Amino acid sequence: MEAFILIGITGIGLGALYFLIASGLSLIYGLMGVLNFAHGSFLTVGAFVGFWVASKMGFETTIPEFLLAMIIGGLAAGLFALLIEQLLITRLYERHIDQALVTVGVSLVVGAVLGGWFGNDLRMFPTPMWFLTAIDIGGAQIPADRVIYISTAILLLIGNWALLKFTRIGLIIRAGVENRHMVDALGINVRKAFSTVFFLGGFAAGVGGVLVSVYSNGVSPLIAGSYLIYGFIVVVIGGMGSVPGSFLAAMLIGIIKQFANYYATGLGDFVVVILLAVVLLIRPQGLLGKVRA
Amino acid sequence: MNALTVKDLNVKIGESHILHGVTFDVPAHKVTALLGRNGVGKSTTLKSIMGLYQGTGSIELNGQQILGTPTYKIAQAGVAYVPEDREIFSTLSVRENLTLASRNKNNGDAYKNIFELFPELDTRAAQLAGSLSGGQQQMVAIARALLNENEILLVDEPTKGLAPKLVTEVANALVKVAHETTMLLVEQNLALVKRVAENVIVMDQGKVIFQGGPENLSDPAWVHEMLGVSGGHK
Amino acid sequence: MLRWKYSRPLLGVVMALLALAPVLGNNPLSRPGLQQTMAVAFIWGGLALTYDLLFGFTGLLSFGHALYFATGVYVTCILINHEVVSWWLASLIAIAVSALLALLVGAASLRTTGITFAMVTLAFGEAGHVILERNFFDLTGGENGIALNANLIPQFWISVVNTKYIYWTALAAMALTYAVIWWVTESSAGRVFAALRDNELRVQVLGLNTQRFKLLAFVISAALAALLGDVMLLAAGSAAPRFADAGVTISLLLMVVLGGAVTRWGAVIGGIIYSVATTRMQDLTQQDSFKTIPKWIGGPISEPAFVLGLLFIFVVMFAPGGLSGAYYKLRLRAITKKSQ
Repeated sequence: MEAFILIGITGIGLGALYFLIASGLSLIYGLMGVLNFAHGSFLTVGAFVGFWVASKMGFETTIPEFLLAMIIGGLAAGLFALLIEQLLITRLYERHIDQALVTVGVSLVVGAVLGGWFGNDLRMFPTPMWFLTAIDIGGAQIPADRVIYISTAILLLIGNWALLKFTRIGLIIRAGVENRHMVDALGINVRKAFSTVFFLGGFAAGVGGVLVSVYSNGVSPLIAGSYLIYGFIVVVIGGMGSVPGSFLAAMLIGIIKQFANYYATGLGDFVVVILLAVVLLIRPQGLLGKVRA
Repeated sequence: MNALTVKDLNVKIGESHILHGVTFDVPAHKVTALLGRNGVGKSTTLKSIMGLYQGTGSIELNGQQILGTPTYKIAQAGVAYVPEDREIFSTLSVRENLTLASRNKNNGDAYKNIFELFPELDTRAAQLAGSLSGGQQQMVAIARALLNENEILLVDEPTKGLAPKLVTEVANALVKVAHETTMLLVEQNLALVKRVAENVIVMDQGKVIFQGGPENLSDPAWVHEMLGVSGGHK
Repeated sequence: MLRWKYSRPLLGVVMALLALAPVLGNNPLSRPGLQQTMAVAFIWGGLALTYDLLFGFTGLLSFGHALYFATGVYVTCILINHEVVSWWLASLIAIAVSALLALLVGAASLRTTGITFAMVTLAFGEAGHVILERNFFDLTGGENGIALNANLIPQFWISVVNTKYIYWTALAAMALTYAVIWWVTESSAGRVFAALRDNELRVQVLGLNTQRFKLLAFVISAALAALLGDVMLLAAGSAAPRFADAGVTISLLLMVVLGGAVTRWGAVIGGIIYSVATTRMQDLTQQDSFKTIPKWIGGPISEPAFVLGLLFIFVVMFAPGGLSGAYYKLRLRAITKKSQ
């Protein structure tokens, strides 16, 4: 039973990390049709800026200091995402394949710059001591950092939902995901929504980057790799453009992966791909996705 | 006085040349019907005016060139569009569909007028637009266009696929609206066209082949020759 | 016609020179070092061409092409090392396995289109990568991969003095790939591929099963990638998970876009230049003069991905068509000028 709880909560924690990267990918794709390979570099930029802020505070941070570093990392990644969108993506308006190609280029350049400056070795992220303690839940000893992953993901889900539900820009984004040309035809410049979505996606990925560097015991230009790919898988399974779909799929994948890995090392990745294939065969539009016209 | 002047409009979609030098005027404060068989380029013409397709030639709104302007600016300049397949936002509620469309803060009167025209929209405000019937969706699409002050209304086949009773309801709404605005209406329902049109344009194979008054619509031979239907109802 | 009338004789001469160079007295290609570099470059040139068949000719943006290349490398290596069959038969089996795998994965992924297809192929490709890294049944050697047992392949491929045989094998594999893809794209099926890229709906209207044609392109390019994988196994001497990395497919995409899609020779030249450039750039940055450049700028430059990534962004934004596209543009200008 303890093992069951431990694996379950660790799986949810991992799912939370996947959600942070997938939410932005999903909205960017849903609204603009852009497959964003640069999303991994948003994550890395957030991780490095967060790391830089946290290192200014010593080898160890307090919880507020850590949260500050995380938010600054997120903001930096958001601004970087905005820059990429303004500089490159908008100039290739509606050329979806070229947009995807340009983001591939961005991810290469960012990886090379960070690799050239800092090398590809892991650098310890200064975390609060509290992260190393364990919390007793139903007899299972849960590492405390998982709590941060899960609560951050939930906060972002709620924030995302509130923004989409209660603000005008949120309304424009939701309408744009469904039919961006009609939004334009109503006299609304839908491109403003594009920038917002890029900033928000970058922010979530940057926050995710800081948390991923805690989870993988350090920062390096290479940490984004598997998370970006899992992000894509989550988006496909959850349904393009659906944030709740991404959340559901992220949790599902995190949990399934952890349980599979418990029974056989390495089985997790395999099971996730089988799941992907099954979803594609039964519901190509994903769990909560709409069939596109 | 013409609200809209289209001159020598050429539009290609991919490799197919759809519009070949379309030229016509839409007089202000009148309803102009744009007629023709299926696939002659009526919807493409409306979309091109809206900036949703790019073309060459000239499209002037009250003397201002709008060809090549981004779609959202064309809409802001006062061109309202009710598209062929309604294109309401099905994942948004009726209220959200209207809120999105309304660009004016002081829109109390506009809402009042719309709910007078379509009382159902008021009672179903919280319902998801995707769960509405075809007729109700059409009402949302028309209401969306009427929420703002417009120079011209582009309406594409508003009664397509509707039950006869709803056709009458939508038609009545259009007749009411017609008194107050300039309208360019694409419609297959000749009875409705006869009721509202003060000016008629006929297109064939991407060209305008007739522009003039509505009197000919009562001549079955003319109608048959121009539109390929045997007059009256289709 | 845009094709230069001497292009085919020129191709013949270049191929003959490349083939004879290792035995034509003393020249750079008579040394094993450059022979090895060029052998690897030919393999990449051929691979880029198989990717062009998907991306350029059929409009399928796959991010999982590395899977079929790696299948060729691994299946051949495993069959040889376990002394199941000889190299020749092992290669043929590997090609068949790769084609079968492509048939299955393609049938599932082609239910989606465009950008979704890109994501889905990426996921399948990465799954293959992960499986190779896990060493299931002690077959793939995990993260270190497996060394090819040199005693079990024909001996003319072994030892440094025989590098020219690997060079010739790679050149032949590239030429074969070129010939097959030339034949496929010039055939009536090739015209369907091109029509698919431009307007899928129209092909559907003509009553052709578009899915079947896409799947055909997917399978052919996978089989050829496996063939080139067999040769890579000889050149590299081992099978390693890096051959299955998503980075391989991304490199192929770069090669095709930089060289220019849909011209065949653009992809091949793109692949060869890319491969040689990345090898040479690493040598260059090891030199002392390079160490004098400040680290904040020298660090990124020493990573091939930096320069190639920037170049790639530039080509996509400002010079779509790449190298071969630019060539045809110049030629078109020259021809129109002449005719005036």
